[in-house]
Amino acid sequence: MPTVVVMDVSLSMTRPVSVEGSEEYQRKHLAVHGLTMLFEHMATNYKLEFTALVVFSSLWELMVPFTRDYNTLQVVLVTDGCLGIGRGSLRHSLATCNQRNESSRFPLPFPFPSKLYIMCMANLEELQSSDSLDCLERLVDLNNGEGQIFTIDGPLCLKNVQSMFGKLIDLAYTPFHAVLKCGHLTSDVQVFPRPEPFIIDEEIDPIPKAINTDLEIVGFIDIADISSPPVLSRHLVLPIALNKEGDEMGPGITDDTEDENSANQIAGKIPNFCVLLHGSLKVEGMVAIVQLGPEWHGMLYSQADSKKKSNLMMSLFEPGPEPLPWLGKMAQLGPISDAKENPYGEDDNKSPFPLQPKNKRSYAQNVTVWIKPSGLQTDVQKILRNARKLPEKTQTFYKELNRLRKAALAFGFLDLLKGVADMLERECTLLPDTAHPDAAFQLTHAAQQLKAASNGTSEYAAYDHNITPLQTDFSSSSTERI
Amino acid sequence: MKIFSESHKTVFVVDHCPYMAESCRQHVEFDMLVKNRTQGIIPLAPISKSLWTCSVESSMEYCRIMYDIFPFKKLVNFIVSDSGAHILNSWTQEDQNLQELMAALAAVGPPNPRADPECCSILHGLVAAVETLCKITEYQHEARTMLMENAERVGNRGRIICITNAKSDSHVRMLEDCVQETIHEHNKLAANSDHLMQIQKCELVLIHTYPVGEDSLVSDRFKKELSPVLTSEVHSVRAGRHLATKLNVLVQQHFDLASTTITNIPMKPTFNVCDQEEQHANTSANYDVELLHHKDAHVDFIKSGDNHIGGNSREGTFKETVTLKWCTPRTNSVELHYCTGAYRISPVDVNSRPSSCLTNFLLNGRSVLLEQPRKSGSKVISHMLSSHGGEIFLHVLSSSRSILEDPPSISEGCGGRVTDYRITVVPLASVIVKEALTDEDVLNCQKTIYNLVDMERKNDPLPISTVGTRGKGPKRDEQYRIMWNELETLVRAHINNSDKHQRVLECLLACRSKPPEEEERKKRGRKREDKEDKSEKSGKDYELEKPWQESERLKGLLDREKEELAEAEVIKDSPDSPEPPNKKPLVTMDEIPPVEKTKGPMSLLSLWSNRINTANSRKHQEFTGRLNSVNNKAELYQHLKEENGMETTENGKASRQ
Repeated sequence: MPTVVVMDVSLSMTRPVSVEGSEEYQRKHLAVHGLTMLFEHMATNYKLEFTALVVFSSLWELMVPFTRDYNTLQVVLVTDGCLGIGRGSLRHSLATCNQRNESSRFPLPFPFPSKLYIMCMANLEELQSSDSLDCLERLVDLNNGEGQIFTIDGPLCLKNVQSMFGKLIDLAYTPFHAVLKCGHLTSDVQVFPRPEPFIIDEEIDPIPKAINTDLEIVGFIDIADISSPPVLSRHLVLPIALNKEGDEMGPGITDDTEDENSANQIAGKIPNFCVLLHGSLKVEGMVAIVQLGPEWHGMLYSQADSKKKSNLMMSLFEPGPEPLPWLGKMAQLGPISDAKENPYGEDDNKSPFPLQPKNKRSYAQNVTVWIKPSGLQTDVQKILRNARKLPEKTQTFYKELNRLRKAALAFGFLDLLKGVADMLERECTLLPDTAHPDAAFQLTHAAQQLKAASNGTSEYAAYDHNITPLQTDFSSSSTERI
Repeated sequence: MKIFSESHKTVFVVDHCPYMAESCRQHVEFDMLVKNRTQGIIPLAPISKSLWTCSVESSMEYCRIMYDIFPFKKLVNFIVSDSGAHILNSWTQEDQNLQELMAALAAVGPPNPRADPECCSILHGLVAAVETLCKITEYQHEARTMLMENAERVGNRGRIICITNAKSDSHVRMLEDCVQETIHEHNKLAANSDHLMQIQKCELVLIHTYPVGEDSLVSDRFKKELSPVLTSEVHSVRAGRHLATKLNVLVQQHFDLASTTITNIPMKPTFNVCDQEEQHANTSANYDVELLHHKDAHVDFIKSGDNHIGGNSREGTFKETVTLKWCTPRTNSVELHYCTGAYRISPVDVNSRPSSCLTNFLLNGRSVLLEQPRKSGSKVISHMLSSHGGEIFLHVLSSSRSILEDPPSISEGCGGRVTDYRITVVPLASVIVKEALTDEDVLNCQKTIYNLVDMERKNDPLPISTVGTRGKGPKRDEQYRIMWNELETLVRAHINNSDKHQRVLECLLACRSKPPEEEERKKRGRKREDKEDKSEKSGKDYELEKPWQESERLKGLLDREKEELAEAEVIKDSPDSPEPPNKKPLVTMDEIPPVEKTKGPMSLLSLWSNRINTANSRKHQEFTGRLNSVNNKAELYQHLKEENGMETTENGKASRQ
């Protein structure tokens, strides 16, 4: 999550801190020290994080802007807890936050998912002596409880500031390291941004689920089969070089860049499973399914940023036994060799996916809806059009007739059956002299059957009963006569 | 998200008493064709639906939309009430579809207007509805079993939608009291039962419906809490289309649905089913289709506050829809979109021609991208419609800019400089190392080779990253040359295993074209072969299990080889460097290696001398003279003979004896 650092630069931040040493520190200096530590940590372990810096006192100023826009943010507010007095102070704003109108809404909660971390350049006792802590706690509450307040333990000094920022780093900026495995091939990776814990159902299963640090590849599937699945989040999977472990974690590496470059070059020449996997997935047009936890899966794939740049990316599916309806249950997927017959065909010309649902959706099964008159009229017209083309259209005529009959019976719309019966009888009288004699018989037969059904009592009104064409021998006898 | 919210269980209670047989007094013309046909014929009188028909078809439409969008875990129990309660289905998933309900409704039939109204009441149905809400669904059962000691976390909530014709407001009060009392009683019963669950929350939605043109005897009332367990709301709605509209609004509220209108859908009238009336239209017109889906598909619009939404959300005039523009799909290419959600859809007007054209198009396997119209005129693709196995989903594509923008390329990181893992040759590479090959294996290898030939012919790039090499890297034909050499080396390393291995080599040799400049490499190839031979012998035991390791190992060798070559290449390609001297007669070099290599198993002597040669070659570059020598004697001034037209091949043959 990108970070906005909001730093209090009001006058109270220049209050000196009594330190036994010779140098005199202000609270501002402590804040700067802490932030430097945070930024150094990011520069080494969280390189892809984006940060912006805003300073404020009675006014605010954006010192370092983001160059992009985002959906989610982390806000780090650095203040000494002197909240000011009068109009525009936090106390006043909180007290009047219900009186605001839509155009000057209170800024919290932020209109995007966010975390608000408040770093106090003061210790707990100092904050509790006034109502500052309550006000700051209300800020976190207003942000839907997303965030935390940090205070300095013990006297204000560089060391304690450092330990406070250390806690923030542990909480919010620890890189997520994992081992990517496929059979006996493995690679140490960093997953960026950190995958956040996920709550499956706040009522049944309220404990947030975190993903495994062992990411085991359980299979591969064509991109066409997985078919742009919905995902919770996506993350870069970056291979980690395994040289000197100490170097990797420690903040504030002072290596000169040349050293680092040559180290990178060496690392670049050691084969890495991530690179192999990325290349294979890209060439084959496939994704790898990865196990993230019990009944939780994700996919690894090659993500091309541009024509030249591409990366190994991991997307997380929603936890559950069946995250994608068109693949069915994940537990039932297996290697092709386990199937009696290759489900992709000998020439790779078919696919077992997508799975067909047991029941068709309304738009795939020709349901009858007569809520608008036009729906009813269309269905009646279809019958009439086919009636005029009897006996050629006998099959379609009865098919449409039975469809209308079934719906009318289900809706208890028996008047419609009578009406259509009347209409068919009238059609019978209107038949031209040239009409095939069968047409008259079929129309009369159909009308009789509908009438019988409209009485609602006989077996003709049974839902599963179908009107079948009247058996006539016109077709054979007429040819004989000619 | 809560699985067991109120919308997990919906009970429909529809009044089947005699007065429901009354007409809704909204006429439907059904005899339409007559008008433009034979003169002198009076069209049949329009008919009208009964209150019952209106109620049933509206509730079926509610169920249709719900089943389309939530085929699982959202369940309906349908009850009709007259002199008793008739429960038409159960909570089981098999009973949850329109066909089952339609068949059951047909069996009930329309209400009998001549039945004794005194015996009939909606109360029977309401009591049965409470009873059925206490019954456990298979999903609740499953969750309880899974949670074991935490079984109490599984909630039991539900909704009763009652469609009736009430006499007055006090009649409505009476119905509400009855439901409240019944819940109280049944919760006591359920407390002592393993099969029943107490109702935690029940939403009663009472819909009073009456014929069009009459005055309503019942007033509307917003949702009100009658007890901690029961809330109730009253809707007074005219029958006919008004009732259907009301239930459409309700299904959207109950299941958190939202509406999207796809606009600008080009549609050719030829899509139409054999319709004389519409044949005249030879042009394609643009149509709109409205779809319903879960409202989360609009979450980005809500977040960004960018609402190009028409109308307002006042109840009754509920016509809030997001308009998205159809983008005609250009290709059928398979792409992996970054999709943050996929939601099932249901067309509002399922049988209309534009709707069925759109759904059929999608069901046939095409995907359609949808564009968000923006005032600024910029084009943003925000959604995609796509079907998966007969179900249509609205995919939400991420249109906000990503925090992962502009990450370093994988080729810049660990292992990034050795990206050539011989992915294309994998089938062959993993098969050839086996001790014995089946006919199928051989066929597979041959296929791989043909595939490569095909790629070369088409001048397709090999999947080799050129990032590792400085500058432009080898040219494409160079890459192929390198690849063929490596492949040949690999296959040659295994020809001693069986005849079938030999066949693979034959195929390879037959397929590859051999440009003359290759001689030098061929020589190295021979040396390489030695190394291969040795390592193969020691490694045979594990090779079968670990073909990948094998190819990794080979890769190491091949990479070294490639580097050597690359160095050579740099010099050769440079325009400033002089032409490399071509000292050896071409013909000799072309002939010799195949003769040697197709001879089959090598003798100990040749193994030994090859070994010595290899050892020597590591120390210094072999003199061309020694390399071409016969019994350690090199013939000088060969070119003179050549110029004099003498047979050089003789020389070559002699050297091989």
